[in-house]
Amino acid sequence: MSVNRVIAALGLLALALVWLLDLGAIQPNRIVPGTGHGLVSAVGWGGAALVTSALAGAILLAVLRVRGRYLLLLALIGLSLALLPLLLEVFASRHLPEDSPYARSSVGAGFWCLLFLLSLMLIEVVGQLGRRRGLQLLLVVVIGSSWVVFLQSDGLESLSLVREFNARPAKFEQALWTHLTLAFGAVTISAVLAFGLALKMMRSPAWQRPILGLVSFLQTIPSLAVFGLLIAPLSALVAAFPALESLGIRGIGWAPALLALIAYSLLPMVRNTFVALTEVPEELADAGRGMGMNERQLFFKLKLPLALPVIIEGVRITTIQAIGLTAVAALIGAGGFGSFIFQGLGQAAMDLVLLGALPTIVLALLADALLTMLAASFRPAAARV
Amino acid sequence: MIELKHVTRRFGNAVAVDNIDLTIETGEVCVLVGSSGCGKSTTLRMINRLLPRTDGEILVDGEDIGTMNPEQLRLNMGYVIQGTGLFPHWTVARNIAMVPQLLKWPRERIDARVHELMTLLDLDPSTHANKYPQQLSGGQAQRVGVARALAADPNILLMDEPFGALDAITRENLQLEMLRIQKQVRKTTVFVTHDIDEALKLATRIAVMDQGRIIQHDTPENILRRPATEFVENLVGKQDRGLKLMGLRTVRELMQAHPAPKRPEPGTEGLREEDSLRLALSVMLWQDTPQVPVFNSRGEETGVITRERIVREGA
Repeated sequence: MSVNRVIAALGLLALALVWLLDLGAIQPNRIVPGTGHGLVSAVGWGGAALVTSALAGAILLAVLRVRGRYLLLLALIGLSLALLPLLLEVFASRHLPEDSPYARSSVGAGFWCLLFLLSLMLIEVVGQLGRRRGLQLLLVVVIGSSWVVFLQSDGLESLSLVREFNARPAKFEQALWTHLTLAFGAVTISAVLAFGLALKMMRSPAWQRPILGLVSFLQTIPSLAVFGLLIAPLSALVAAFPALESLGIRGIGWAPALLALIAYSLLPMVRNTFVALTEVPEELADAGRGMGMNERQLFFKLKLPLALPVIIEGVRITTIQAIGLTAVAALIGAGGFGSFIFQGLGQAAMDLVLLGALPTIVLALLADALLTMLAASFRPAAARV
Repeated sequence: MIELKHVTRRFGNAVAVDNIDLTIETGEVCVLVGSSGCGKSTTLRMINRLLPRTDGEILVDGEDIGTMNPEQLRLNMGYVIQGTGLFPHWTVARNIAMVPQLLKWPRERIDARVHELMTLLDLDPSTHANKYPQQLSGGQAQRVGVARALAADPNILLMDEPFGALDAITRENLQLEMLRIQKQVRKTTVFVTHDIDEALKLATRIAVMDQGRIIQHDTPENILRRPATEFVENLVGKQDRGLKLMGLRTVRELMQAHPAPKRPEPGTEGLREEDSLRLALSVMLWQDTPQVPVFNSRGEETGVITRERIVREGA
């Protein structure tokens, strides 16, 4: 066992930043910039001492060669992360003027830094403890549920983000579903299309260049341009076939957004699927064929299982990309979390922007983690040993 | 029995296999030997129709393979290749079970067969059955390759330089293993190699190939004694043919047998009846003795072999 420099450095940085930067701010209303409060001012000497001792403890554990220190670190950092919203609650209760209903507390740079650096430290600790999937899942559940409990309690009701959410819970839920439906719908449709295209390219090599050329070309058009470009043809289509309008297809809205998202998803999907399926060693196919497998059996028993991790990797990249792009699609009225972002920008209300941006980030991270786990579980067992 | 009649294979304008005739009797090991590009692998791959032939006829037990379903044909021909071709995402047991599974054998029969084959190839089922190919050594992996080929008890075994990628010691072990197994199972085997020593050791008959033609098709001894052309003569080695001939014959042939097997005195070293004369001579030269006792497989002394007789009659 040696000194863990990563955790020590992250801890020091967190300690410095949490003391230097504002932990939070109090705004008299939604638009006016608030007054910032540093660590001591925000949570008092007691709170400051607690934060400082937690970080100092982590640094000390990283430097000292104690047995079982990573388990101690895990408990310490996990607990700190789970209780982090408590800081905001204390801050709000100390500083929020009671007589002004529009006043709100907001999260400062110091808090974000603390959150970010603690998360990095947690990732390092989990890495040192080895890959135990149960442990990782437990951590996510404990920290996540702690945050949900805090956010639903009255103590954080004054928090600007919570205020923005409470002003429009139905819209938030609708945005969530729209966002998910658009992103995953596009990924699913493009996965099916890409699979078909990859098979076509395998069967007839003459199609390889035109198909790869087309999907690469689609990828090069700026996303906003695609959204814009689709408005005219779709409007014309609906004008020609009014029946389509009853299905909800219009020049703006979900239809062009979905089409654009599919177009963007095709390149990573087609390329990964095709490369994965064609890179199965010829020697293995030869052996399989020589043992009496027909082409169908070769595909389902050899090529597809070996290609699956790479194909899922393509799905992962595409999903993250689609979740991000769906936010932009709000510009043509597709809905989703992007609508909060653009509304917030229009009203100069940064908290509303965050209400759109943060869930988008969380969705992308979740999709990333889930699909990474899925790909790992499909890798040949021996490669995992 | 496999018969090739006027078989030709062209790749574009290049002729890979040029109008060859070859008959492989049931139960014999026919080794196709030659330098790379001589058409030996192409010939092998035409027998299980991995390559179509341009011209000619190939008959298996009198039936033209062109009229058979290629998958059905291959299911009855074990196939072993140089790189083993084991599926990396399947365990050893599942790899061996490949053909029985394709043939839809019942589960218990497959399990029993896998167990039987692993034991036959000296792979401990309890330690190796659930391993993946990447966790095996080269020699173990090729044993699994051979077990996979034998799984559904095919009549014919096609082996395309199966031991070519292994180190000398492992290769020698697997060659001995193959001789032992062949004695038990008696498969009609077509074996491709570029190693003439391997061919001499394993073959019932050798077909020497050069530039798509078969130059000579004969027993190892006749190939050594009466090479048909200068090419064959160079291939078998002009100078050390004497030693190679000794390598083909066993101690049993030239030993002076005792009237009855007797128990050896403890600590005496000697040769076994099935050792080659070449080994016997080498042992005597090294130990500088004129004769060595010979033991049978039960460890009884059955005779002696003398240096003089080997030198006089060995080659």
